[in-house]
Amino acid sequence: MTLSTERPAPPLAQQRPLQRRRARRTIAVAGSRTLYHTVMIVLSLIYIVPLGWMVMSSFKSKREIFDAPFSPPAVPDFSTWAEAWERGNLGGYVLNSVIVTASAVTIILLCALAAAYAFSRFEFRGKTLLLAPFILGLLLPVQSYITAQSRIFDSVYLLNTRWVLMVAYAGLGLSLAVFLLKAYLDSMPKEIFEAARVDGAGDFRTLVQIVLPLMAPGISTVAVFSILSAWNEFLLAMLYVQDDDLRTIPAGLLAFTGRHATDYPMLFAALSMITLPVIVVYTIFHKQVIAGVTEGSVQ
Amino acid sequence: MKPTRAWSPYLFVAPAILVFAFVVLIPALANTALSFANWSGTDAIQFVGLDNYFRAFRDEIYLVAYRNTFVYILLTLALEVVVGLLLAGLVTMQGRRTTFYRVAFFVPVTLPMIVIAILWSFVYSDDIGLINSGLRASGLDGLTRVWLGDPDTALLAISVVSGWIYAGFYMAIFYAALQRIPKHLLEAATLDGASQWRVFWSVKVPLIRPMIEVAVLLCITGAFQSFDLFYVMTNGGPDHSTEIITTYLVEVVFRYRDLGYGAALSTIMTVVVVGIALILVRMRTKGGSNDIEY
Repeated sequence: MTLSTERPAPPLAQQRPLQRRRARRTIAVAGSRTLYHTVMIVLSLIYIVPLGWMVMSSFKSKREIFDAPFSPPAVPDFSTWAEAWERGNLGGYVLNSVIVTASAVTIILLCALAAAYAFSRFEFRGKTLLLAPFILGLLLPVQSYITAQSRIFDSVYLLNTRWVLMVAYAGLGLSLAVFLLKAYLDSMPKEIFEAARVDGAGDFRTLVQIVLPLMAPGISTVAVFSILSAWNEFLLAMLYVQDDDLRTIPAGLLAFTGRHATDYPMLFAALSMITLPVIVVYTIFHKQVIAGVTEGSVQ
Repeated sequence: MKPTRAWSPYLFVAPAILVFAFVVLIPALANTALSFANWSGTDAIQFVGLDNYFRAFRDEIYLVAYRNTFVYILLTLALEVVVGLLLAGLVTMQGRRTTFYRVAFFVPVTLPMIVIAILWSFVYSDDIGLINSGLRASGLDGLTRVWLGDPDTALLAISVVSGWIYAGFYMAIFYAALQRIPKHLLEAATLDGASQWRVFWSVKVPLIRPMIEVAVLLCITGAFQSFDLFYVMTNGGPDHSTEIITTYLVEVVFRYRDLGYGAALSTIMTVVVVGIALILVRMRTKGGSNDIEY
């Protein structure tokens, strides 16, 4: 239309100031970059300060925690950590968490992979009927059936054992795992599976030798999400396990807090000991962790 | 594809179905049945029809718990989703060298919520807490208060912790969505001389609208199920000012041993959560196509 006549290209003489403007802009950008990083560091401090305060306080005396909340300890006291670890049974809680989480995640991965493979690749009678409950599981919050669940677990003598949390976490994690792994399998070309069939592989061999290796990215996403949910779960851990020797970290730590309600250095030491390893692992694997958690939740 | 053996799909599905039925499906069905009865767990089960449901609608604490839950939902939408969106805008503004910030903002998501709840109880504590100490150090003694013990501030104080945890999570999903926007869509706006924030609000945010809707859905359903922070930091107090549906439910079932009533409360909660989720999903599909075409 008329656009081109209204806005002719700038004549050569006018292009000079444009360059100068660009130079000025570079300076402005450098300035705004400093401003930007200042803002971002202030925001990061909101995350770092409480965690730093926690670790710092664990090396202080009770008196220093009260009198000088913002200063580092005059003489760092490392013995509190050892005391908290031994007197607080933290080692026991960590061991229980490792056992429960590892077992639950293993059950989730094995069961969900086999089921997802069948749901994704095979036609069989009752497929929709068998898949539907898992959709229900995606919607139902655990609080909506916890009353009956606690009675059922009680009636089969599962309460107050390590088994109860392994089985419960496995069951709770299955819905999402089946759906995520099924989605991954659905996106794979079916020629892979047909080629295996032509080579004479049975259904089970195809699952172990073809599907399993190809699914590494999907499996790791599901694993990260399942590990974090089981490791951090609190409600069932508190309600279903009363024996302190069987408690996992979240419920154990709450019991610990109750026992040592006013021993602040020891409480801070216990919190730090649980937190720091998680932060270290997360910093190393942050890409996988963020992908695992966000993909897992958004599905 | 047809399986080589007719029974192999059933064999593959069986372990998952068995575990899932035992942990979720059978309890969910039994819970609905139990909601029509009275039971203390030890005596005989007594069928009472809809009595538990009528009782719930007259239970003042239960109604307060709903009101608090809805207030909490509004607060977390602002402190988690909106703040998360702002953080995502900030980390995508400059392009590079934002890994440190993204990692820092996401850290709390990976920690057990109990650890965070205990830590923040200290941060809010009257005598040793960071917030009151900070206020005293800056001469603002008048603003100090018992944050978790004051009915006026307790719910807000817990919501702030929830925001501290999840703003980074929503930042991460928005960040991933923003990274997927094709460059050529942004070039035009930048060439026209629009500022970074202008481009963010007028171009990028509308483009990731589907993801924002998912985030709102996640935030609302998540807020209904939250329990850990409330249980550890206030356990519903002071004076039920932080009583939410789940804390009250656990009290009814595991402390008063009122199993039938508890089952009814959880059934109502399920209907409300699933209902809200369905309404939101409906609104999404009505509001136009789900996926934006680039």
